[in-house]
Amino acid sequence: MRLKNTLLIIFALTSALSAQVDITGYYEPQLLGVKIENQFYQLFSNKLRIDLEMNSSENITFKANFDYITYHGYTSWDIKKFLPDNILNEVPDFVVQGVPVNPYQWEFKDRQFLDNAFVKVRFSKFDLTAGKQQISLGTGYVWNPTDVFNRKDVMDPTYEQPGHNALRIDLPLSDKSQIMGLYAPTDKWDSPDLIVKVKSRAGHFDVSLLAIQKQWKFTDARILDFINNKFYQLPVRRRITGFDFAGEIFGLGVWGEFAENHLQIKNSVWLDYEQQLAFSSENNQFEPMAINKQYFEWVFGLDYTFRSQTYIMAEFYQNNSAETDYHNYRFNNWMQYMMAETKTITRNQCYMMIQHPVNDFMTASVSGLYSFSDNSYAVFPTLAYNIFENMDLTLIGNLYFGKKGTAYSENMGSGFLARARVYF
Amino acid sequence: MKTIIKITILLIMIFAETYAQSMTSDEIIRKVNDLMNQKSVYAKVRMTIVTTSGKKRVFEYESWSKNAGEKNLIRYTLPARIRGQAILMLNNADDIWAYFPRTGRVRKLASHAKRQKMQGSDFSYEDMGSGNAFIDEFNSRKLNDEKIEGTDCYKVELLRKEKSTSQYSRVVCYVSKENFLPIVIDYYGDKNPDLWVKRMVQKDIRIIDEIPTAMKIVMYNKKDNTKTVIEMISVKYNLEISDKMFSERSLSK
Repeated sequence: MRLKNTLLIIFALTSALSAQVDITGYYEPQLLGVKIENQFYQLFSNKLRIDLEMNSSENITFKANFDYITYHGYTSWDIKKFLPDNILNEVPDFVVQGVPVNPYQWEFKDRQFLDNAFVKVRFSKFDLTAGKQQISLGTGYVWNPTDVFNRKDVMDPTYEQPGHNALRIDLPLSDKSQIMGLYAPTDKWDSPDLIVKVKSRAGHFDVSLLAIQKQWKFTDARILDFINNKFYQLPVRRRITGFDFAGEIFGLGVWGEFAENHLQIKNSVWLDYEQQLAFSSENNQFEPMAINKQYFEWVFGLDYTFRSQTYIMAEFYQNNSAETDYHNYRFNNWMQYMMAETKTITRNQCYMMIQHPVNDFMTASVSGLYSFSDNSYAVFPTLAYNIFENMDLTLIGNLYFGKKGTAYSENMGSGFLARARVYF
Repeated sequence: MKTIIKITILLIMIFAETYAQSMTSDEIIRKVNDLMNQKSVYAKVRMTIVTTSGKKRVFEYESWSKNAGEKNLIRYTLPARIRGQAILMLNNADDIWAYFPRTGRVRKLASHAKRQKMQGSDFSYEDMGSGNAFIDEFNSRKLNDEKIEGTDCYKVELLRKEKSTSQYSRVVCYVSKENFLPIVIDYYGDKNPDLWVKRMVQKDIRIIDEIPTAMKIVMYNKKDNTKTVIEMISVKYNLEISDKMFSERSLSK
């Protein structure tokens, strides 16, 4: 019924506006295969994305994206299968009316949603964008410490990010500098998400200074709200001051980001959390989450294109709040990582990539992740092929080699991702 | 009186011919550079990549250029998969930004990115115009004149300067004596400096706004055995293009 209604809305909208609206988009079937503990699992998905764009005048643009995604095959993933044995000891057992239940399931449910819908108005002195829009911050390729709205997939860092409800203003100060301000409402009027970014050009470098306030949440997955089937989430005010840059030194492309994080937790909120924890851990004696209230993250990257067209890249990322010894990774660290509340579980890591065009339509690359903190690593061989004019094929392998319990351990499950994308 | 005029015209022609013959390689290349880098240019372009097996890919883009090629903006309009992608090149392509509409990101690229193929075509971003690259990145030397593609041409060799970032070790230009348009440009790599790896041929020359313009440009890639054809759908010179066009704000328009 929801699908029918949605299709009706799309049909009505597109019919009414087709004379003025550009309708583009893509259809994307995808197969994800993963081998975990000698079992092979497959998840199929179909994604239809419809992009609408209308320029009602030279200065006003409306854009929207509608996504419809279906999942098939192995759609309910047991998170515990990805976790090492020592961590599983921390996972509480839940029993409802005498029946054991496993809330640690990653469910892939069919979804249809308005990903972006915004209007951009270009005034003579500034641009104003209002509505659900992509917010992309930072210069990092894989990791963006200053981007508190998104977390990239290390297998495919350039995949599009979801839209966020916000009001954004871009104000050019000169031909080399500009200010961006962003206001994103939250559930409380007095604690919105805010960004102020000043960007300027110095020589061959782009340099930005940022100040960010974001309402954050840390999940304690040991506390379950049975009624809403949700884990407890500790609300935190996160403030970031930082900078980013991108430019060139001695012919090498260089970029970097730095973010100083300050977390504020209200006493009443913490007391409530401790009470919830005490109630939930009657038989388990849980310790409260260890939350680092002040920490920094930084990224530094280099790239180069050889005359042979071979392209190489390396990016280092340090998350000062993450652990250096994998024996100290806790259950909640893993859950927060999986729920994109932290960008990594390990403190020091790097990403490397080598890419070469096989021919005009095909590019082969190998990328890899290595954790300096726990010596685990993963390799992602990738083939991207523009098989027809408006059709791309992408094959990505994922091979994890780390010891059990490490960030990129064999527990993550090696496998592949095969994706076709047909544009219209 | 008529005899005096005739003699004067004859003398001028002889002088012009003598001057043209005595032009140095630097002067010729400067003329080429001036012709290829007009004050401002708008073009709507169709680019077709043809592989060995005959497979084709067609792209369309619009480009704006200002200050004799010092500022460039390219925005793709076709096909659907790359529509809206844009490249901004400032300071003779020493500063490059790429905009990806699917992610909404603007990425600053280092100048080495000029070596990358433009959407898999046989044109690199360097080939598409790096402002004064022929003057700044190469030393020139005049070779014996030749007739090529039915046109009398100066033949000028460009040798990469030591500190140049160009992907080409050597470039040979066949420059029309009539209008200083390079009819053929041969690009040489590092492996074999005697064999061209790419050849660009400019065809269907028309005069637009008093400027000789190739309506069709073919880049042959000997290494990959492919070719890319650029056809001008529309070209306009010396327009008033605002500096605001060449900004990050405009890139993500």
